Amino acid sequence: MTKEQDGSPQTLKKTPSSNSLRPSASSVFYDSWFRWDVLSSEWDVLWLSTILKLLLFPSYRSTDFEVHRNWLAITHTLPISKWYYDTTSEWTLDYPPFFAYFEKLMSVPASLIDPKIVDLNNLNYGAWSVVAYQRSTVIITELVLGVVLLKGSIEPPIQRIISASIFLHPGFLIVDHIHFQYNGFMYGILLWSILLARNSNKLASGVLFAVLLNFKHIYMYLAPAYFVYLLRSFCLSSTGQVHVKNFLSLANAVIAVFVVSLGPFALMGQIPQLLSRLFPFTRGLNHAYWAPNFWALVTAADRVLLKYAQLTGANIVINDSGVASTSRGLVGDTVFAVLPNVKPIHTFIVTVALQAVWLVKLWTNPSYKSFLTALTLSGWTSFLFGWHVHEKAVLLVLIPLSLLAAERQAYFRTFVLASVAGVFSLFPLIFTPAESIIKVVYSTVWIAAVYIPLSRRVYEYPNSISLVVMDAVEKVYLAGFPLLLMFVSVFPLSGGKSTVNSASTSMETCLSTDGFSCPEPQTGLAQDSLSAAPMEFLPLMMTSIYCAIGLVWSFLRLGFIYLQEESKYQGQLSEIK
Amino acid sequence: MDADELSALPTEGSWKRSNRIRTTSLNPRYAYTNPSPATTRAESPFRPPGTTADITHSDVPTILAPTPRRHLLESSASQHWLNTPPLSPLTSSRALSPQSASTATAFSFPFPQSSSSSSAHVSSTASNALHTNTHSVRRRISSHRRSFSMLFERDQGQGVPGSPGERVVGGSAHKGHEPDERAMGRRWIRWMHKRGLKAWVVPGILVVSLLVKLAVGLGSYSGQNTPPMYGDYEAQRHWMELTVHLPLNQWYTYDLPYWGLDYPPLTAYVSWICGIVGHWINPAWVALDKSRGIESAESKVFMRMSVVVTDALVYVPALLMFCRTWQGSRSKRTQELALLTLILQPALLLIDFGHFQYNSVMLGFTLLAMSLFATGQDLLGAFFFVLSLGFKQMALYYAPAVGSYLIAKCLYLGPTDGARLFVRLALVTASTFILLFLPWLPPFASFSAILQPVTRIFPFARGLFEDKVANFWCASNVMFKWKAWASSGALVKLSTLLTALGFLPAVVGLVRSGIKMQVLVKKKTESTAHAAENKDPAPFLPLLPYALLTSSMSFFLFSFQVHEKTILLPLMPVTLLLSGAPIDSAVYSWGALINNVAVFR
Repeated sequence: MTKEQDGSPQTLKKTPSSNSLRPSASSVFYDSWFRWDVLSSEWDVLWLSTILKLLLFPSYRSTDFEVHRNWLAITHTLPISKWYYDTTSEWTLDYPPFFAYFEKLMSVPASLIDPKIVDLNNLNYGAWSVVAYQRSTVIITELVLGVVLLKGSIEPPIQRIISASIFLHPGFLIVDHIHFQYNGFMYGILLWSILLARNSNKLASGVLFAVLLNFKHIYMYLAPAYFVYLLRSFCLSSTGQVHVKNFLSLANAVIAVFVVSLGPFALMGQIPQLLSRLFPFTRGLNHAYWAPNFWALVTAADRVLLKYAQLTGANIVINDSGVASTSRGLVGDTVFAVLPNVKPIHTFIVTVALQAVWLVKLWTNPSYKSFLTALTLSGWTSFLFGWHVHEKAVLLVLIPLSLLAAERQAYFRTFVLASVAGVFSLFPLIFTPAESIIKVVYSTVWIAAVYIPLSRRVYEYPNSISLVVMDAVEKVYLAGFPLLLMFVSVFPLSGGKSTVNSASTSMETCLSTDGFSCPEPQTGLAQDSLSAAPMEFLPLMMTSIYCAIGLVWSFLRLGFIYLQEESKYQGQLSEIK
Repeated sequence: MDADELSALPTEGSWKRSNRIRTTSLNPRYAYTNPSPATTRAESPFRPPGTTADITHSDVPTILAPTPRRHLLESSASQHWLNTPPLSPLTSSRALSPQSASTATAFSFPFPQSSSSSSAHVSSTASNALHTNTHSVRRRISSHRRSFSMLFERDQGQGVPGSPGERVVGGSAHKGHEPDERAMGRRWIRWMHKRGLKAWVVPGILVVSLLVKLAVGLGSYSGQNTPPMYGDYEAQRHWMELTVHLPLNQWYTYDLPYWGLDYPPLTAYVSWICGIVGHWINPAWVALDKSRGIESAESKVFMRMSVVVTDALVYVPALLMFCRTWQGSRSKRTQELALLTLILQPALLLIDFGHFQYNSVMLGFTLLAMSLFATGQDLLGAFFFVLSLGFKQMALYYAPAVGSYLIAKCLYLGPTDGARLFVRLALVTASTFILLFLPWLPPFASFSAILQPVTRIFPFARGLFEDKVANFWCASNVMFKWKAWASSGALVKLSTLLTALGFLPAVVGLVRSGIKMQVLVKKKTESTAHAAENKDPAPFLPLLPYALLTSSMSFFLFSFQVHEKTILLPLMPVTLLLSGAPIDSAVYSWGALINNVAVFR
């Protein structure tokens, strides 16, 4: 960037008078872009998005809203020693301590605005005051993301489109501003940490990531890449000697962060209780609605094989509980009928093994771009192969991947595939009709606003037969999404009224706030769905499988690019050491 | 040329930079701050006669950048915002363009104290040109500087306070962020154009406006959760229910106390169609009597979507057409900006998509009529205006203006053509009305049946004004207790009188201009004019928005039984004017002010 800045006045001086028009025109553009476009256009984005978010105040909100309200009440009324023991509400506190402190902080203004908000026994409080307050805290804390992107978008103009696209990401709109969570704030911290890494302030980057981990432990998905990157590029020199000073400062800083976070609870001897809240390993392989990952494909394959076995009477050992699991649709634990069952240890092994591939590559090439790719792939691996992954975790893939999008055509296509599939997979979170229209329109606008300006900048002609075929297949895949959308929205109408209701209740069965902490689905619901139409989960299943195909494919794509072409191709991000 | 060579010629570099800045100032806003051609010419003494490039001074620019031709065109073009033909080579000749440019910079919209001298100058120019130049030139010069005050000035040679802007002064001076947002729109359109994304601007505007409408619709509507009567939402839904289930002759008579239908037949027909669709999707939404007060999320979505769809079918195309016809002489960007301004008009968004009504259909039909008038298709325009009347009787607020425009056009065309047009217009108008009211007319119903809709549409039995209307009656009610002073009948007469007084200037102005123009046409050679003129809009067409504003505002302020939502009617012409006005003109600030005041009512 700095190079570009220095360059522009020089080109102005050097411009020959004979053909001065074009270069000077471009530098004019550059100047004007710098003079007034920066601030005002950033303000435009902020104001417009804020207006839209304000309009979304009265929209549907999931029980995550009540979860967070309950946490406000817990942290406000109870002493710190009881935070992780309280069970007044079923939505117990299951985020790490920094988030609890954060809620404590927010509960102070809340108690001033309306004392009922922080009343522990005032369950399911839904007055206008609490809605407005909690929704505005989301908007305000999301400014962290905005500021970080503002600081980070000093790249060429193309990076500004990326920044705007992250700030306006439909994932945030759906999950934060309709469904209700604080992802904008969290990803703000993550991107801040990444930005610091880019600016070679690796100590601060590591500390911020430790802070982030203590806000929300789902970012452990990304931790391996951070660990390897910081160890290799900060604690070791390029020849492999240990920088003791760097190592000690980083280790001490990270430990200090954890002490601040967990210290009080360690002193009270509550660490086991805290961990049991954070990591409840009592869940099934798939989430209530299958997250679009590898296991969704495996489950689907199992269903297909079961059907095949039932139809043809082939000699396959069929697990009876797996058959029951089929008829129960997507709710509850997943037991395979034909394929061997998957245990948590299996998913763990697969995840670690695949992550190791990226981490070895990162160890050999610890540049910023390599780090970014490895980070994305690390999160992606966990998302695709993890145990009981929640579909909201797809943001862990999409946000870092956005930073790579403008690098070149291969990355851009990966980004488009993953974004479309990932955002679409978030759609079932919002099932109320009015908000459904908004989520679709908004996501369409967003993908168009990102795709149209960026695609022409990074376009490369496919130069081999396989690339042409791949390009065509991917386009067909993308074109399938409108059809899938039509199917998903029309199917409930044709299937009768009960479908919509039970599908919606099934979505409400899991109200967890992240991948680990899903409260048990209501037991009564399995019985309900047993009696319901067998095909009622078909739209959700189709969504899950179709999105999983795209996400797995783009994962392979990015992995291939990372391993094969990373060193050959030098893009704008490669210049950052 | 290398950098070394260039350093030998430092002045050229500086010249280039200044020239570069000038060439970037193609947006009209910058053209104002630019020196006018006259001042540019004043610099010319610095330049020695016969200057060549080899004379180099360090402080005096060697080559004086000639003011590009484009600037003259831009600066004048940005003022005449209405449908003017593109400048022909003849009109942009040396003799004319500086004059037009200088008057254009001094000319601001019809505020007499600032523009009396210059606009008098214009009118003399116009009359000179009239006699010397061809017909098209006369039309160009005279048509794009027309306002009511101009008319009077030309007749009497002095400024007369007749500006419509002054009459609508009311309320406190809220300084909203409208100019800021507008600049935002400008910036965005500019950005899109620079990125080569021109083709996506209009679709982008449409989709974003759709998003805003849907998001506004997430909120509550009028009368939500307030039994037993609920609100406008329930009224509209109730009409769907009764039009679907009842025969036509009961539409205007069924259970009147519970939201009896009180809009003209087109509303009923639209409700009927919506009701059929609703019935097809879910009969419970529109079940007769049983669905009263239904507030399920699905039915709400259906109702909201019905507004969005009717809006997309009528109002959005009308806006597109308006921007293409009335702003036809302007740049693409200005047209897009006008579309953005119009489509996101906050009051309409709030009332239609938040509060819940179908005003955009009525406004859309009126807009279509205006656009058709502008393209010279008066009959079709009249048809659409009758549709507008047939959708909501509120469109009557515009009727004086539209009617007097058409009459003026008839007068303008002269006895034979004018009479022919008059008869045609009368036929079209009458037959459209008959078509709309057909089910209540003799062959299909008894003679008295027509009274059913009519008495429902014009309820003089209600009070003088509703609760919190910001009109004259309300404002003055603080001082004079009108209801205590006079009987209902007397108040009706008084309000009618005041309303008529209010819109009289507009009517008189239009008709008068029609007569005047006719005289002018007669002075001209009569061979070419008539046949061509019949297809073209009348030259006083630019007065139409002002007339609409004056007329609807006078209705809003003085007429009987005014609902606060009717502020939408005067707001539309204001926004139309606003959309065409440059950001620093008087019309713009008035439009922004009125829009803001209206929203905070």
